Amino acid sequence: MAAVARGDEGAYEAVYDLTAGWVLGVARKVVRDPALAEEVMQEVLLDVWRRASRFDPALGSGVTWVMTLAHRRAVDRVRSERSHASRELRAATAVIDYDDVTEAVEASLDAERVRRCLTSLTELQRECVSLAYYGGYSYREVAELLGVPAGTVKTRMRDGLIRLRDCLGVQP
Amino acid sequence: MTSGDHELHTLAGAFVLDAVSDTERASFAAHLAGCAECRADVSELREAAARLGTAQAVRPRPELRAQAIQAAYQTSQLAPVAGRRTNDHGTRRPARPGRRHRHRVVPAVIGTAAALAIAAGVAVGTHYADQQGQRSQQRARMIAEVLNSPDAVMRTAPVAAGGMAIIVTSGHEHMGVFIAHGLPALPRARSYEVWLMGPHGEHPAGLLSVRAKGMAGPVLIGPMSPGDMVGLTVEPASGSLRPTSAPVVLIGPKSR
Repeated sequence: MAAVARGDEGAYEAVYDLTAGWVLGVARKVVRDPALAEEVMQEVLLDVWRRASRFDPALGSGVTWVMTLAHRRAVDRVRSERSHASRELRAATAVIDYDDVTEAVEASLDAERVRRCLTSLTELQRECVSLAYYGGYSYREVAELLGVPAGTVKTRMRDGLIRLRDCLGVQP
Repeated sequence: MTSGDHELHTLAGAFVLDAVSDTERASFAAHLAGCAECRADVSELREAAARLGTAQAVRPRPELRAQAIQAAYQTSQLAPVAGRRTNDHGTRRPARPGRRHRHRVVPAVIGTAAALAIAAGVAVGTHYADQQGQRSQQRARMIAEVLNSPDAVMRTAPVAAGGMAIIVTSGHEHMGVFIAHGLPALPRARSYEVWLMGPHGEHPAGLLSVRAKGMAGPVLIGPMSPGDMVGLTVEPASGSLRPTSAPVVLIGPKSR
């Protein structure tokens, strides 16, 4: 990432090759429109180029940084699209979101492992984490959709991620 | 830990999942700045959340690659955040303001005071753009371009009457942006005027209105030639065609 920040074109191409599939994957999952997802992917990767100097290795890996940018942008996009949709429609989409989570998108060892780790969460933890990450819903919206107090959703999100972290063996 | 802190502490999961409102995001980010434990927490949870994303990989259409790479090469990159430094504990602290040396030449990564001046400058540029339409918008864009350019070089010099002058140049010195802060207020009948002072004489570069805390600028200067300096003089309120007093500061590539 330091090389990208210096304007090293080869380094940027390597970052593109490594991360584009992941960025497109999360964008497609969250915005659910393939054309819109490609747009989000291109925006995120341009952002990586522009903001490479702001990447701080003390705060996490380069991949995590890229994925953080990607998820954030996808969520922003889906929220602005969704603000026009009716509440009923939103509730319906939420169910679809969750059903999708258990489907493998691309068979890979990593995907398999994440899927297995998701099943180690309690049902409520998994719903909270999935609706937020894959559905792009805020914790308040998740609370409304599931009919659970917002405070409970917040703690389940945190507990769920902690369990996921432990299961995946994430190195601090 | 107060109950408010506890409230924020439990927000770590929702924050990492982007499941918070903009207001909550801002207050949690502020909380993070003062909580090393929370930062460690968040960076671990972030790694886990990122894996939820990478597990969804799909292959992009091959033609997108050339598009993305071409778009990147046509886009200028942001300079590193001014004054950012990371200590052993992973917390950030501002770099020391570069006030000790007269006329020193430093890369664009510089002291906090100057960074604030630049941030203020950009905000003002945008404000002017709103007020004065397209021509100013173009000017504001050029100012932002100079400030954000990867080869931007910044120089600071103290102003004789008080305050600090800053010039950022980029693109091999073709364009410059002048900013000042801490400038003393002038009587109503007087104004600060900026000059491009080169081997071929002095050219007026604009009047400088002083705002809160003596902030002034940004003034876009250019094109600059090698050896050009930027000077600031005190003139009658309507400005002068030639400087009528000695510069209170003279700053530029040769000021080292």
